[in-house]
Amino acid sequence: MLAFLVQRIGQAMLVMFVISVIAFSIQDGLGDPLQQMVGQSVSAAERVKLRDDLGLNDSIVVQYARFAGKAVQGDLGTSYFYGEPTLDVIMEHLPATLELVIAASLMIAFLSVPIGVYAAIKPRAWLSKFFMGVSTVGISIPVFLTAIVLIQLFSIGVTVDWFPDDTGWGQWLNGALSTNGGMPSYGRGDDLTHLFGTWYSGFFSENGLLHLLLPAVSLASIMLPLFIRLIRAEMMEVLQSDYIRYAQAKGLAPRRIHFLHALKNTMLPVITVGGVQLGIMVAYTILTETVFQWPGVGLMFLEAITRSDIPLIVAYLMVVGLVFVITNTVVDLIYGLVNPTVKLTGKKA
Amino acid sequence: MALLEVKNLDVRFAVRGGDLKAIRGISFSLDKGERLGLVGESGAGKSVAAFSILNLIARPGYIAGGEILFEGRNLAAMSERELRKIRGDRIAMIFQDPMMTLNPVLTVGTQMVEALKAHRRISTANARKIALERLKQVQIPSPEKRLDQYPHELSGGMRQRVIIAIALLLDPEIIIADEPTTALDVTIQAEIMALLLELCEQHNVALMLITHDLGVVSQVSQRMLVMYAGRVIEQGPTKEIINDAQHPYTQGLINALPQMGEPGRRLFQIPGSMPSLNRIPTGCPFNPRCQFANDHCREVMPEYVRSGNVDVACHEVAALIEKEKQLQEEQP
Amino acid sequence: MSTATLSRWSRFRESFLWYSFKRDKIAIVSFVVFVLIVAAGVFAPLLAPADPYDLTQINIMNSELPPMWLDGGDPQFPLGTDAQGRDLLSTILYGTRVSLLIGFGAVLLQSLLGILFGLLAGYLGGRVDALLMRVADVQLSFSTLMVAIIVGAVFKASFGNLMFGEIAIYMLILIIGVAEWPQIARTVRASVLAEKKKEYVDAAKVMGFRTNRIMFRHILPNTLSPIFVIGTVQIANAIISEAALSFLGLGMPETQPSLGSLIKSGFDYIQSGSWWITLIPGLVLVVLVLVINLLGDWLRDVMNPRLYKG
Repeated sequence: MLAFLVQRIGQAMLVMFVISVIAFSIQDGLGDPLQQMVGQSVSAAERVKLRDDLGLNDSIVVQYARFAGKAVQGDLGTSYFYGEPTLDVIMEHLPATLELVIAASLMIAFLSVPIGVYAAIKPRAWLSKFFMGVSTVGISIPVFLTAIVLIQLFSIGVTVDWFPDDTGWGQWLNGALSTNGGMPSYGRGDDLTHLFGTWYSGFFSENGLLHLLLPAVSLASIMLPLFIRLIRAEMMEVLQSDYIRYAQAKGLAPRRIHFLHALKNTMLPVITVGGVQLGIMVAYTILTETVFQWPGVGLMFLEAITRSDIPLIVAYLMVVGLVFVITNTVVDLIYGLVNPTVKLTGKKA
Repeated sequence: MALLEVKNLDVRFAVRGGDLKAIRGISFSLDKGERLGLVGESGAGKSVAAFSILNLIARPGYIAGGEILFEGRNLAAMSERELRKIRGDRIAMIFQDPMMTLNPVLTVGTQMVEALKAHRRISTANARKIALERLKQVQIPSPEKRLDQYPHELSGGMRQRVIIAIALLLDPEIIIADEPTTALDVTIQAEIMALLLELCEQHNVALMLITHDLGVVSQVSQRMLVMYAGRVIEQGPTKEIINDAQHPYTQGLINALPQMGEPGRRLFQIPGSMPSLNRIPTGCPFNPRCQFANDHCREVMPEYVRSGNVDVACHEVAALIEKEKQLQEEQP
Repeated sequence: MSTATLSRWSRFRESFLWYSFKRDKIAIVSFVVFVLIVAAGVFAPLLAPADPYDLTQINIMNSELPPMWLDGGDPQFPLGTDAQGRDLLSTILYGTRVSLLIGFGAVLLQSLLGILFGLLAGYLGGRVDALLMRVADVQLSFSTLMVAIIVGAVFKASFGNLMFGEIAIYMLILIIGVAEWPQIARTVRASVLAEKKKEYVDAAKVMGFRTNRIMFRHILPNTLSPIFVIGTVQIANAIISEAALSFLGLGMPETQPSLGSLIKSGFDYIQSGSWWITLIPGLVLVVLVLVINLLGDWLRDVMNPRLYKG
């Protein structure tokens, strides 16, 4: 167990090192701190002196060491735009993104497992084919388009008048196909609960949850089809295996075969992929947050790009990189704990 | 009445563009405590036959005709719910590869206890006691420890012992063993086979042993079936068949045994290979590989003829028997 | 002899491909729609009523006109106009052209990178393999979209808005190609490892062929069908990635819009009721991606190597 842990943490640190090198080279290549600090009005001689003072004439290695040393202490520079330490800016925005990801993950978990399992057990059922069809279409819709359609339908509203309004059925059809709109589609609302530090939560008020609904649904919509397909495919493969046939030969009830023997084996690869997908979801928050003006780190990052706020871009990379690395390591550890065939010595038995 | 009687069993695989006939009208019976061997090359339909007895053939396979009478009840026409009561309880199975048979994420104990609980009203504690007792019977080292171990912590031989223990768990009438030792190390194959035979005898369980190894069948079984391309081409008492095989295919199999060859000479080999299901030749399925094949063999599927206590499906053998009869009639 | 067996093999596969294609209605419909969309994109300059790149043809007075079947629609603009008064039909045709160009270009690039690195990793093994696959792992765990966004942001910051707009097509092909290479490389590596175990590679080695000859002449042809399947789906992914980048303002400029930048420019006007500017290009994008995905699914089912080797 300890060896496994040490190996995984070693790997994680290596990845973080690579990320920090990339982040540093972006800062080094793009950011001219002098320009930002003093503008045009300073003489050339003063510039040279300032460069020396700031250590910008030191060798790359020394500069990187300084950058990394500060980063480890939590100093990732100061945002040009906010004029605050970048880490503080990120911490202010992070809870919004985390809540979005948590809400979407819950939706995915509670929907994908039952649907995927059902579609695997009854591949010929009408409902399974419907689910698979919907998820094929779902995979083909970009997340921002789902978000826009959701806004059009539930926030702006759609009035349908294709059917004659003077007949009963026409009126009914028009009414049934029209939507009222009115769902919030902008920001997090004004009823947030302070939990601790910079964490203001929208989970505890109706207003907050309503604001969360559309962004979370659109974020979930991109991953849900993937998970349904993945769970179905894994489960169908497991159902073909010898040990399932053996379980049948033992005369076990189908419920036990499906939900213990098969599901437990299905979920092992799903956990691994799920961890990776969780990381990928962070990338999609950039799109979702842009559409819904959700004040999380994704929107903050995009704004930093348009404002050329290099320190904030670099800090975002480092923080998101850290989040990815931590999730992947934790997922690996969980996988090792759940799967009896991994002996937590770092290699498969 | 035989314990198990299979009559004219037909098994097909529904694929695009028609059905593939995997088993074509096989019949045999198994008595209480008897040991029956089922031999053939891979692809002959042995495993399909074994699985179809418990109606466990995976889609797209299905039983297209015939009866499987177990104590007089037809398993082929039974509901899934009723079949479940027989599977594992009255008829147990041993699969080929012990590495793939046990569920990798459940402990040995769980997989033994669940089998008992599926068929008996029994507490977990009592079920564990019975499981432990069976593990002792299959002579597994430190059996107490094994219950809480996962399959991958056991060697291949130990896993097959566990599987034999599970097969015996509910005192079945029949054990169907599909190549139970093929996947094991050569050194322990004999050991496991001896254990299986000893326990079957001890518990008076009928054993249906499926194997490609004619040598094992000749030592173990009282009666044997030889399968080729989904058909039984010869069946009868093992001794009679081994000593005087009638069908050219069975003769070829026996001549191919290493102990039949002379030292320093090449082993005999039947020319050609088993046809795949979608291109089984007309007439006798063995005709393209048979040195005696004539036009009749290529057109008409041979019926069974009896020679001694052996049933054979071969035109050549039928013709020989006919000739002998005529000779006997001419000189009484 | 080996070439003869190979060509017979590929002819058989083609005939099987054709056979199953004829039987699959979804595949036929998807293929027809795909060909129509590609044709519309390729022949956009001939088909489009107006040239959206030609500023002289645009009249701001015509902005935000609805499609012709709605009140206030003008038959001159069948699908309406966008916020700058450009004919939406023409803009969509040109946008499809741009999206397809980037989609195919990016997949071409990532296939080249993926095949090269995949072959190297799979055939050479050892440290090269460990290094390349480690990079691929990290890149994939970061998600290709994230990598594309970061690379896009860096490019945009270093080139400046205007210059980036001019070379945006090439930049996007480069960004998406670089971001997605691990997908193909992994597949190639896996099939190389599987092929390497087979006898013909040993035979080629014994006969004294050089390493790169064995890789390209002997192993590569046998790994092509999984690449083909993945490549198809990757076109859809590349088109979506391009749309996402453009939607974020890191892609095609509005003066030379792709489907993604059209959706983005329309999104600013959705609250004012001009849904068509964003939703009609959106629909075209979804249909295009959907038919490619359906074709990819069908190809995967048909070419599933397990069906042959099982």
